[in-house]
Amino acid sequence: MIRFENVTFGYSEKRPILDDLTFHIEKGDFVALIGANGAGKSTISRLTNGLLHPTRGHVYLNGKDTLKTPSSALARDCGFLFQNPDRQICENTVKDEIAFSMKAQGWPTDEIEGRVDRIIKTFDLDPEWFPFSRSRGERQRIALASVLVCEPGLLILDEPTTGLDYLECIRIMDYVTRLNKEKGTTILMVSHDMELVQSYARNVLVLNHGKILGQGPTNEIMKNMDVLKKARVLPAQIPELALRFGDEFKDVFTVEEMLDALRAKAGKGGAL
Amino acid sequence: MNLLNYVPGDSFLHRLNPVTKLLAAFLYGIAAIICNNVFAEIGFIVLMILISATAGIAKRALFLTRNLMLLGLIMFVIQLFFVRTGDPLCVIGGFVLFTTGGLKSALLLSLRVIAAMLPLMLLFAITQMNDLCNALVKRVHLPYRYAFIVTTAFRFVPIFATEFHDIQDAQKARGVDFDTKNIFRKLQLIAPLCVPLLVSSLKKVDVSAMSAEMRGFELRGYKSGYKEYPFGARDLITVLVLIGLIVVTALFLK
Repeated sequence: MIRFENVTFGYSEKRPILDDLTFHIEKGDFVALIGANGAGKSTISRLTNGLLHPTRGHVYLNGKDTLKTPSSALARDCGFLFQNPDRQICENTVKDEIAFSMKAQGWPTDEIEGRVDRIIKTFDLDPEWFPFSRSRGERQRIALASVLVCEPGLLILDEPTTGLDYLECIRIMDYVTRLNKEKGTTILMVSHDMELVQSYARNVLVLNHGKILGQGPTNEIMKNMDVLKKARVLPAQIPELALRFGDEFKDVFTVEEMLDALRAKAGKGGAL
Repeated sequence: MNLLNYVPGDSFLHRLNPVTKLLAAFLYGIAAIICNNVFAEIGFIVLMILISATAGIAKRALFLTRNLMLLGLIMFVIQLFFVRTGDPLCVIGGFVLFTTGGLKSALLLSLRVIAAMLPLMLLFAITQMNDLCNALVKRVHLPYRYAFIVTTAFRFVPIFATEFHDIQDAQKARGVDFDTKNIFRKLQLIAPLCVPLLVSSLKKVDVSAMSAEMRGFELRGYKSGYKEYPFGARDLITVLVLIGLIVVTALFLK
């Protein structure tokens, strides 16, 4: 689905933001990009949909070289949800806002109507709402709906839950997860929130100063304290606690699993 | 190249009082405006580029001159075809396309625009906005509120430029093709760029106003500044030279 081949990107030769990166992401995967500020996470997401072009190397999205394909053409394959929904909202009603992406991509009018009505119901929105006067969470939902209405094969989420309350966060992430599991949409999520990464991502790519520090299943990466420390990332609390408890807790990653493990330990009369 | 960025330095121009720099830019502009000679206007532009070179900003001056030429070109075309004084110079099928008066007026006005605007634009390269704001408050006793408005407006230009770029990226990611050559489509694409920019600008203004109030904006007066901005001999010489330039221009080049 996504292939980075020896990708270097930077505004100056001496200090590249990404340095000779090679990796690929399979179709249907849910990958989180983690790392400290300036590690290159957002740059990777912008290189993927052609908003940026590599200084050296190539980025392929569904086999298309992003250097040779304009980002507006890649938008059919790749939806992008920005951290700040206000950068994309430009219409007076929710219905027009959601239809905007489809119109820009040249979808047939009758299909636009049907799809927009369906997604408005799914996201529990009102088609006549004035988007600018809605809450931050609702604006983010409107932005997500306007991206997903085109059903892209890849969805990039750039810190999608920043500034959202817990319920809005869960609502958006649950929808994204459902999309990933039921429709096989590939998800690439940039996040600083390790609890979110632990709960939703299947695989993790750890970045540090433009290089890949670690790559693998979320559960493995979350227990690799060396990598997380080097990447200056605060680990998720349950995996860190489990790691401190020792080998008996090595398969514990969630609150439920921790409760079960503690109950089992207490039942055996063991001490922690 | 960011045209509003300060270029650090220790040249004669850099060391002038910010108020003198502003005054000098205006005086130079006045001299260029009252000048009525095409060759002298070219001289004003070349002189300003040479003066910029002494402050290490010749590259910026050349870049600005090139950009101002586009503005000058628009003025040139308008003047050329609308000023009808003098003798016919270009006649096509009995219709006078432009006259000698039109050509002279077009050349003069377009060069005058460049010569007058160049020093004002170069002012930002040798003056930090904070210094200009503080010096105007301290030395001219301009109410801080007005100085703040002017400097904040300039400070927000690069911020809005970045915001505009991000909005463009967000719309491109939705499939909007900004590279279209269709002029009507281009006009339609103004709304998806300008509406989010307007909304975010209004929000920023609100937040900035609240933030300023919280930090005692109302309490600030001309005595509040820590840094002093004394006038020196170089400031006096600069102003006298520029007044001399205006007098010479008014006497011989008007």
